[in-house]
Amino acid sequence: MSVAAVHSGGIADHIHPEPQGFIRRYVFSLDHKIIGIQYLVTGFVFFMLSGLLAETIRTQLLNPNGGFVSPETYNEVYSIHGSAMVWLVVIPLLTGGFGNLVFPVQIGARDVAFPWLNMLSFWIFPVSGLMLFSSFLMGAPTAGWMEYPPVSLQGQAGTSMWAAAIFLVGVSSTMTGLNFLVTILKMRAPGMTFTRMPLFVWGQFATAPLLMIATTALAAALAALFINREFGVPFYDPTKGGSPVMWQHMFWFYSHPAVYIMILPAFGIISEVLPTFARKSIFGYKMIAFSSAAIALLGFMVWAHHMFTSGLAPFLQLPFMILTYIIGVPTGIKIFSWTATLWGGKIHYSTAMLFAIGFVALFTLGGITGIFLAAIPFDLHVHGTYFIVGHIHYVLVGGSMMGIFAGMYYWFPKMSGRLLNETLGKWHFWLFFIGFNGTFIPMHWLGMLGMPREVATYDPQFTFWNRFETFASYLMTFAILIFFVNIIWSIRYGKKAGANPWGARTLEWQVPSPPHYYNFKHVPTVYGLPYDFSQPLPYKGLEEELTDSPPAVAAGAH
Amino acid sequence: MAVASLAPDAGEVDQLYIETRELRLQGFLFFLISDCVLFSSFIFAYLYMRNSGQGWPPPGVQRLDVAFAAWNSVVLFGSGATMHYALENFKYGHFMRYMWFLLATIVLGVMFLGGQAYEYNHLIFGEHVTWAGSGIFGASFFTLTGMHGFHVFIGVCYLTVLVLQSAAGVYTRGKYFGITAGTLYWHFVDVIWVVLFSIFYLL
Repeated sequence: MSVAAVHSGGIADHIHPEPQGFIRRYVFSLDHKIIGIQYLVTGFVFFMLSGLLAETIRTQLLNPNGGFVSPETYNEVYSIHGSAMVWLVVIPLLTGGFGNLVFPVQIGARDVAFPWLNMLSFWIFPVSGLMLFSSFLMGAPTAGWMEYPPVSLQGQAGTSMWAAAIFLVGVSSTMTGLNFLVTILKMRAPGMTFTRMPLFVWGQFATAPLLMIATTALAAALAALFINREFGVPFYDPTKGGSPVMWQHMFWFYSHPAVYIMILPAFGIISEVLPTFARKSIFGYKMIAFSSAAIALLGFMVWAHHMFTSGLAPFLQLPFMILTYIIGVPTGIKIFSWTATLWGGKIHYSTAMLFAIGFVALFTLGGITGIFLAAIPFDLHVHGTYFIVGHIHYVLVGGSMMGIFAGMYYWFPKMSGRLLNETLGKWHFWLFFIGFNGTFIPMHWLGMLGMPREVATYDPQFTFWNRFETFASYLMTFAILIFFVNIIWSIRYGKKAGANPWGARTLEWQVPSPPHYYNFKHVPTVYGLPYDFSQPLPYKGLEEELTDSPPAVAAGAH
Repeated sequence: MAVASLAPDAGEVDQLYIETRELRLQGFLFFLISDCVLFSSFIFAYLYMRNSGQGWPPPGVQRLDVAFAAWNSVVLFGSGATMHYALENFKYGHFMRYMWFLLATIVLGVMFLGGQAYEYNHLIFGEHVTWAGSGIFGASFFTLTGMHGFHVFIGVCYLTVLVLQSAAGVYTRGKYFGITAGTLYWHFVDVIWVVLFSIFYLL
């Protein structure tokens, strides 16, 4: 279908009638771009709530004896903070949010393959988010975002609500993955071969099978936890023959691929932002594209490295350690390709670019501590300490969240027609960058010294660095407030962007901002990669996109 | 119930339908893959628990009755064959034969569910093996076969809808994706049962 003839009468020549009324346009919309914005808005609301929980954690840790909240509440707070950040913020923002917003336009499609399924995926997401937060009302889970049994079996009533909420948001993720995968496989514009797809599309292409396959494994684990808790069916209960370690296997079989779900789309964002603002073709296009696929595949084979201290059979430990090292290779290929892209480029330090460069730096640091942790002797030493907390925040905040911010500054003009304010943006970047490093760097040596994670109090010898972290985290929160102010201000008063404020070359920048609901008047034909800044654009059939002429094909009922 | 025959010119389909059908087929296959992962996870759980315990079956539980389940399997596999012939007959325009094969599939599916209900009844009230009260045996057996039975039940409902839709003339010589999807789903449920039968009754 990707080489279908022009005006074949197929999907590429079919436009739905324009949606009428506020409800069909902005609430129960079938338009992938509107659904993407809905995901972004909902995701950032949950981001604010999770951020409040994070600041509760940091404020509690100002003093060795805590005192801000009770230890029980503290356990609930960090459990919900972790769960919400993973399932309600990072995954939906990167896949449902930026994925929906950008990739169908980038491949030259009019919409995703199943718009109704897309709408359903979105509307499950806020419902499950409210369920997750409502677990506070009945006693939230207290065993961390991983909810290891047997603690989670003895947890309060909200633990079952937690399982149901995560199950539902998983259903939403699975449907999104399925939808995206079919769209990328079947709905690319003529000439858009796999090796001409923009790298953001490659990021989504590698992520979608993970969403589709791994999330179902999590659904099984959660369903078993739920029926164990509610009906006493002893899957995980060791007193009746069940196995708590089995939960760890099933959970990490999802959750290790999930960390790639949370980073591969961010890799894609960075691979778009870097060449645009370095005014230089991306270095090693195929290497970046195929290493995403390699990471997705290897991601299924390394889950047990989270379980080196859980009584894993010794003959399994070494293979998992080696496979974990191997996964560093495709990741390293990306880092070096991005660095080579910057080398000799005419770098324009816009806010999106600052976040992209910040991403490369911080993600590299998080990746290096990941290589540390792959080594069993080291992992045994720091398992369950703040070293792990430092590592995961370097890859998920320094990596995924920086990628999300880069994407927001980069694509905000495309969704709203206005630029975000660059001055506020630079304040946002620098305060966030300094605050972030101040918060999470000390965690590494605190962890090496033996400060355990997920505990409401700590040894007084760690007081100085904990206070340092807390004040740095306030700075980070302030930076995020600047970001929200920037968004609200720029929607009304931002500079008009026009179709292509950055001089970028992928397809979404060749249509108006925001694009029409049908994306293209003519579906274009693609002749090459979008990254070669010395050449004319590799598209044909886009001449009328920025004029007032009506679309080439008439809208009709399906 | 008035049974409409297939219109002679109904074999013609437009490009939009052909491409949409391709998307739906791809999407449906991906749905089956992710459903397969759901079963695989529970199968992994069962094998994991079985191998970490003290022998199998656990003390106090009889081995399952292979003979009865084998006959029940024959019923289900037979329904796979009738479903196959239903689709083939539809493709070649033999509408009435399609309807009879479809009805036979539904009857066999219901018979399989009846057999499973009989077996559950025997286990729960005869041997006092229950979901929550028989350790990992009850947990894994009832969860997996229950999930499978639920899939069969959904399949029976779907095929019933197919019968009503076909009688109303929804499907034509060219446009019958709903029947293709139903056939794929039914075969998928059959294949899952091959695995479950092997690991619970034969292993």
